[in-house]
Amino acid sequence: MPAGHGLRSRTRDLFSRPFRKKGYIPLSTYLKTYKIGDYVDIKVNGAVHKGMPHKFYHGRTGRVWNVTKRAIGVEVNKQVGNRIIRKRIHVRVEHVQQSRCTEEFRLRKVKNDQLKAEAKAKGEIISTKRQPKGPKPGFMVEGATLETVTPIPYDVVNDLKGGY
Amino acid sequence: MVFVKAQKSKAYSKRFQVKFKRRREGKTDYRARIRLINQDKNKYNTPKYRFVVRFTNKDIIAQIISASIAGDMVLAAAYAHELPSYGLEVGLTNYAAAYCTGLLLARRVLKMLEMDDEYQGNVEATGEDFSVEPAESRRPFRALLDVGLIKTTTGNRVFGALKGALDGGLDIPHSDKRFAGFSKDNKQLDVEVHRKYIFGGHVAAYMSTLVEDEPEKYQSHFSEYIKRGIEADGIEEMYKKVHAAIRADPSVKKSEKQPPKEHKR
Repeated sequence: MPAGHGLRSRTRDLFSRPFRKKGYIPLSTYLKTYKIGDYVDIKVNGAVHKGMPHKFYHGRTGRVWNVTKRAIGVEVNKQVGNRIIRKRIHVRVEHVQQSRCTEEFRLRKVKNDQLKAEAKAKGEIISTKRQPKGPKPGFMVEGATLETVTPIPYDVVNDLKGGY
Repeated sequence: MVFVKAQKSKAYSKRFQVKFKRRREGKTDYRARIRLINQDKNKYNTPKYRFVVRFTNKDIIAQIISASIAGDMVLAAAYAHELPSYGLEVGLTNYAAAYCTGLLLARRVLKMLEMDDEYQGNVEATGEDFSVEPAESRRPFRALLDVGLIKTTTGNRVFGALKGALDGGLDIPHSDKRFAGFSKDNKQLDVEVHRKYIFGGHVAAYMSTLVEDEPEKYQSHFSEYIKRGIEADGIEEMYKKVHAAIRADPSVKKSEKQPPKEHKR
């Protein structure tokens, strides 16, 4: 019999719950709120059978474009052939987590605003741009002794093994 | 005799998955909790209130609670041990006391939210099914009944507390199927019987039968009633006064007791 290509084919391990985490899912998943424009990670929870996305979307991150009673509309990029399409899917909240991909950016934004406000108060000009790591600075080598190495003259008698 | 066979191997312990803590303690029904707490996502942060009623051996606890990730937040609470200050000192866990506690909680919440003038509820406790009508300015306060782990049989005291809250003016979706006095044959609520239960009529009837047939048992069973001079006829009057007192001033009364200077331990 050939292998089938059904909706949940090849998801035996992908959709299974992790070790010792089976059964009821913690209630905080139901209490989180999602607004349009948030970034969310899609991670399928095999314990909830409704509103599951297709296995392709497991592990993808997308933006929220719609919020309904029990589900969230997420816009995910998918490569189809030679182009990338923005696909809009609806996923129940149990299969979605808030993404931390923008966390670093948001924190940096707040910190930069604060630094700029401080600099403006003092009257100095600062640059809050991130700089890439440059080459390491030069340094003096400590504890070095000089040792001159010269080649020794070739000695036929000793170097030829056995007879000649 | 200790049988050596019943031992838990290391492998068993390694693979054992513990249930949630409150399930292990046998206190929370997570299947019901999920369904009570789940708020529509397109309502974002709007709180969903549940009307929680729990019975202990000597007390009744009625609370309005909303859930959050940090923990559940209690909006208002009413206990049966507060009823002595409203004139009810005995029988603090019966159907009538549950009605009083529910009523006290409802009036307290409405007063806290400044809705108590609009939503008077059912001032005359008749026992028939009463639902709040929405007034002009604000919609009624909506909560969902959370019974916990009790069996929801007809005539359970939980539904007494529910009736108290409904008559107090809260909007709680319900049906009259489980109120005391609902007969399965007619499929109808007998209003007279329910009213009897709300005013402790069932207690009064038992008191009168005991006085006639078994006076000694009456002395031992209803000793607290006798001590305060409460007779079977005066019970309904007593509860009417308690309801009026609750409606007059439902606010929390601070007790004058000081916390103990030394810890017990």
